[in-house]
Parts: sequence; C-alpha cells; structure tokens
Amino acid sequence: MSERRPYRRPMQPHWWANPPYRAYTLRELSGVAVAIYGAVLFAGLISLARGPESFDAYLGFLRSPLSLLLHLLLLAAVLFHVVTWFQTLPKTMPKVIVDGKQVPPQTITQIATLAAGACSLILLLFTLWVAR
Amino acid sequence: MSEAVQEKRSISPIFWLLFGAGGMVSALFGPALILITGLLAPTGTGLPESFESYGHALAFAQNPLGKLILLAVISLFFWHGAERLFLTLKDMKAGPLLVLKLGTYGVAALVTLATFALLLSIGF
Amino acid sequence: MPEAAIAEKTVELRILRYRPASDAEPSFGSFEVPCTDDMSVLQALQTIKDTLDGTLSFRWSCRMAVCGSCGMMINGKPRLACNSFLRHLPPGPVTIEPLNNFPIERDLVVTVGDFVKKIESIYPYIIPKEPKTVADGPYLQTPAQLAAYESFSDCINCMLCYAACPQFGENPNFIGPGAMALLQRYNGDSRDGGQQKRLDTIHGEDGVWSCTAVGICSEVCPKHVDPANAVNQNKTNSAFDFFLRFLRPGGAR
Repeated sequence: MSERRPYRRPMQPHWWANPPYRAYTLRELSGVAVAIYGAVLFAGLISLARGPESFDAYLGFLRSPLSLLLHLLLLAAVLFHVVTWFQTLPKTMPKVIVDGKQVPPQTITQIATLAAGACSLILLLFTLWVAR
Repeated sequence: MSEAVQEKRSISPIFWLLFGAGGMVSALFGPALILITGLLAPTGTGLPESFESYGHALAFAQNPLGKLILLAVISLFFWHGAERLFLTLKDMKAGPLLVLKLGTYGVAALVTLATFALLLSIGF
Repeated sequence: MPEAAIAEKTVELRILRYRPASDAEPSFGSFEVPCTDDMSVLQALQTIKDTLDGTLSFRWSCRMAVCGSCGMMINGKPRLACNSFLRHLPPGPVTIEPLNNFPIERDLVVTVGDFVKKIESIYPYIIPKEPKTVADGPYLQTPAQLAAYESFSDCINCMLCYAACPQFGENPNFIGPGAMALLQRYNGDSRDGGQQKRLDTIHGEDGVWSCTAVGICSEVCPKHVDPANAVNQNKTNSAFDFFLRFLRPGGAR
C-alpha cells in the first residue's frame, strides 16, 4: 500500500469524433440545424419588419439555388433530429409498465416517431388546403 | 453510514426544459415547416408563389395567434440549438465556458428579445 | 518413437502494464498465450499469471458475470473479461487495458474508492413510508410494481458504464450512471418513501446535470440495467423539482 501512485490517463482530445461517440456528436449537431432554420425564419421576420422591398429581397433569396440547397440540407438534418430525438425520449421517462411488464423503449420510439410524422403531414396537408 | 453532500443546485433545468420544448416542437413540425417555407412556397410547388408574399406574411405576423407561433418557433428553435451547440463545443473544448455560454445561450436570449420586439413593432 | 508435436494455438495479448514503484507511466507488454476455443479473456490472463508472469495484477472472482470484478478495456471496449471469449474477438493481437476514466493502481487494477462513495451517498436502502414492524407482516408487491425498478436492481457494480461515459471521463465528480441506477432502484420501489431525499442529492452539476444523454453506458452494460434511463428520467424529476419545489409542504431547499 505504501507504493500507491495512481496514474490518470488523459482522455483522448478528439474522443467526440471517434466511434462510438461520433454518432452522438452528429446527433447533437442535427439539433444545431434546428437553430439554423430558426435563423432563416428570424431573418425573414427582420425583413418583414423593414418593409415590402426588404421582404421581397428575402423572398428572392429563398428562391435562389443556394437557399433551396440549404433547405434540403436542413430538411435532411432535421429528419435525422426527429429520428434520434424519439430514440432518446424514452430515456427521460419512467418505465412504462403494461400487464406487469415493461414496454420496450423501442416500442415507445416507434409510436412517437409515427405520431411526429403524422403531425408534420397534417400541417403540410392543412397548409396545402388553406392555400387553394 | 454516509452523509450525502448537498451540492449547489444547478440552473441547468431552465435551459434543459427550453431545449426539450424546442426539440419536441421541431420534431413534430420541423420537417413540414422547412418543406413549406423553404422548398414548396419558393418554388411554387403545391403552393402558389404568392403564398409567401409580403401581404400574407404581414397578415400572419400581425395576427395574435401568428405572433405566438412565430415567437414560439423562432425562440424555442434557438434555445434548442443553443443547448446542443453549447454542449458540443464544451465536449470539443472549443473555448472558455463563459464565452461558449454567451455565444449560445446569450444569442438565444437576444434573438428571443429581438423577436418579441419585432413582432410588437409590426403591429396588429 | 517421438510423438508428432501438436501445434498449439496461441493468441497474443498486449496488456497495459503499470507498476507504481518502478514505472513512471504505463506501457504495453506482450504475451503469447496458448489458447483453446472455449477460453475467456479472463482465463487467458490467469494462464499468464500462472505460467508466464506472476506479477500481472487484475481483479476477478466469480468467472460468470455476476460479481462485477473483472471489468477492463478489451480491444478498446469496456467488457467483463470472464464474459469475453477469444473466439469472438477478431484475429490478431488482443489489446487489454484497465477501465477508461479511472486512475490506474497497478496493471489492470483501477481505483474504485470514489465509486463506492457515490454508491453510499444516495441512501442505498429502503426508507419506509411509515414505520413498520415484523409483526405487521411482509410488504406485498405486484409484478407491475417490481417491473418498475427491477432492471436497476440487476446492477453488479462492474463500472463498465463509467468507462463508457465521456462526461465522467471529463468530470470525475459526476455521480455517474451506476450510482444513478442504484438511486432509481430505490426511488422506483413501491416500498420506499425516500424519493425526495435521494432526488435532493443529484440536483447539482455533478449530479444528473453532467449527463448529455450520450447513452453508451446502457449499451455496454452486461446486465441490461439501462442506467441511461435512470439518469435521464431524473433529469425530468430534477427539472420539475427546480420549479415546483416552492409548492412543497416542507418548504423549498
């Protein structure tokens, strides 16, 4: 016991970029994409407050290939966010017990993901209907 | 027998609940919103090109319910991204914690206030 | 007549060695170990200790994945040595290191004292809702009530979850997945009335709020305890308590 000299190995500086943590980092970054889309909406609000010419310029940007590409990337990232969000969701809940047994977290994930898909679909269809 | 050391309460719950609300709203409606505002309306697919006109946008932003929706979506999306970005930058050791907090939570707070102010300035 | 030599299969084990009295820092040592298809990594280590190098130090006990002693990094993953079989590992040298994120005492033996203190700090015993004597008879519990906490009671304190957790690696004061699993084992037990007391131990930055829901703790757990669930459901509890504490009968803390 007199020879004790515990040795602390330092963490790898880029642990977040290596498996198995890389998937977690990508998941977190998909959440940042949510804020980037928020920024696009925020920019639209600023343009709107400034007046018609400013807003037309904003619309011009939305119609540009750059913006369309950006939104495609954001859509992909947010879809990834949706899927991973509901994989994490069951962890934040107490165990759901049905008929004396735990409902597997994967079941909760599937149901929640389908419900979310339905929500987006309903919003989309509602908007298409209102715009007729 | 051990005595639990009562550590100082963290204020993380505030940001975590905002992060959770933003995550849930974006998970439920994010894909549809991006499709509508960023892809369908600008290209006139399924929606007329006039859908996103100044007149429509102004009417939406002047409507009290529209204001609520815009405030909730913009603000919560920023708070969600702020927490995610803060924790990722912290993992990457990208800078001093105070700088990271100001650059993420600080920006989300500013955007929330600015959105509120802009929505008021647009009027009813 | 000489017998034809039977070629023995061997496997190379690259083991991180550290002897505090003589080494400035850990370094790898290599061993060629005769092996058979049914051998576990633990048996390979025991072969080394018995026949090649008696100074190799490692913890082990039950050899059947219930005591939690033999946790170590095997090819970079936190695993129980008794539960890891040579035939399941890819061909080539097997890299063996002590559990990540813990100080190394010697060879594959890590410091566990802090983990024990964390376990002790969350009131790891039933705190009855009301005083109850043996004459009152036993507690009754339905299968549903048992299912609410059962997985958390399966924890064998092997600390693989701590080795997998990068936030524990960054912050050794983080209470961590294993201690939270034990906390939830009691908070989820219908016989227990100490929920608030235990919850109040984890409201801090070193409590649940160091967790960023990486989730790999639950993936490496050999007993399917799901410690990630224990930590994250208590984020929910702690977050609501943050705002609702002022409504509590005893007053806020």
